[in-house]
Amino acid sequence: MVNQYDRSRRRFLQILALATGAGFGGLVSSGSTRASSATLLTKPIPSSNERLPVIGLGSSLTFNVGNDPLGLDNVAEVMRNFFNLGGKLIDSSPMYGSSQPAIGYGLTKLGKTKSVFAADKVWTWNHSAGSEQMEQSRQYWQVDAFDLMQVHNLVAWQDHLKTLASMKQQGKLRYVGITTSHGRNHEQLEQIMKTQSLDFVQFSYNILDREVEERLLPLAAKQGIAVIINRPFQRGELIDALKDKPLPEWAKTIGCKSWPQFLLKFVVSHPAVTCTIPATTQVAHIKENMVAGMSPLPDAATRARMISYVEKIL
Amino acid sequence: MGEWTSYRLSDFILFSETVYYRQFELYNQTIWPLHGVVMLLMLLIIYTIWKRPIWSGRVISGILVVSWIWVAWAFLYQRFYQIHVVADLYALGFVLQAGLLTKYGVIKNRLTLHTTRQPWASIGKGVLFFALLFYPFIALIADRSWMQFEMFALAPDPTVLTTLAILLMYKTPKVLYIIPVIWVIISGVTLFVM
Repeated sequence: MVNQYDRSRRRFLQILALATGAGFGGLVSSGSTRASSATLLTKPIPSSNERLPVIGLGSSLTFNVGNDPLGLDNVAEVMRNFFNLGGKLIDSSPMYGSSQPAIGYGLTKLGKTKSVFAADKVWTWNHSAGSEQMEQSRQYWQVDAFDLMQVHNLVAWQDHLKTLASMKQQGKLRYVGITTSHGRNHEQLEQIMKTQSLDFVQFSYNILDREVEERLLPLAAKQGIAVIINRPFQRGELIDALKDKPLPEWAKTIGCKSWPQFLLKFVVSHPAVTCTIPATTQVAHIKENMVAGMSPLPDAATRARMISYVEKIL
Repeated sequence: MGEWTSYRLSDFILFSETVYYRQFELYNQTIWPLHGVVMLLMLLIIYTIWKRPIWSGRVISGILVVSWIWVAWAFLYQRFYQIHVVADLYALGFVLQAGLLTKYGVIKNRLTLHTTRQPWASIGKGVLFFALLFYPFIALIADRSWMQFEMFALAPDPTVLTTLAILLMYKTPKVLYIIPVIWVIISGVTLFVM
């Protein structure tokens, strides 16, 4: 492990059977989603047509393990299963404590520093510190460059977006994005989406919090912006609320065997959503989550039925 | 800076309960066998309060100063910082408290024991018993690994509680209460949100 967090006195002060089927080739289904029955679905990034698996991996809370050898190995094991099941995009932020070095540890251990779709954020109110922070993040990840760099929670977004646009022009990153979460600052985000050149936008969306269906998701589709969805489980609160409730019998028709799969399929089945980034510390959960990204996905009528059912039992 | 107001408290607790308590396990493994020395210090505090020698205020203040500095450096700055972005600020607060205890307790000898009949002294004794003797067993009672125990002078919470207990038993400048009370709020909220 890299000793980024070793501190000197002077300063004192991460479906076994499905694993072999993971990949990105597959049958073309209706709309823009491509898949085979045991392959993770992918959707295109509108600005490049590069395809991304609909299930990514978040790192908030779950990967912040410090330099605990057991914690780091667990992160790597979660990542190993994520990659084995066809996952590609991992998302982090300087705000997430030691998550970045933990991801770097896992990528290096698994030999995935070149193949991961590395998505990170710049999170500082001091614009001049942004470049240094992004370089520090890159070193933590142990990657040559980030694929996607996002302005975290709209912090100093005007200045950071200029820097990111310049970095993209210089080939230092491939995509530019901006994020928010918990339904914060949607009006401001809408204006930014209308006026700025963005490849990605990230915000919260789940079966209960659907405000973004009204304006942001349609706008993203119209503007050709890829959408990453965070908090698909309301940071676990939705699963806690639903775990003792019965999964409807008809959930089987859309390939759901659990509530997390039900919730994830709802999110990624929205036509404007590119992918979602559930986070977990458990290998069993990552396997469960990845299956949610496989065919079939609910159609509009089934999505409405899903909402109605959940709202009825909660 | 207005963006700060858009954050919720939980946005800043970006570690799980498992990872939080695992820090104490790794920490205890690292500093072993320092726990033996701390047990001697605990006995000295109890003896001093029991026998009430004239030098009790200075000695107990000295022990608290060493404890606050050790926790600031060894736990908050070296260990907790790995998972919590503001642990540096916490460490700074602990050093400030050590400074205040040095000034008012060691140098100015402003800690004077209350008479045992005063209610604050009795509450202080209860809190002292909880912090010194009960707190290390909470991990075991909560069905966690016993190695995740938290001891006075080594972990923040029992150190702060012990300090508050002693402040309640002694007549002390009120300024000494500020940082311990702030820490009780911070730690309480952290444990609640986590």
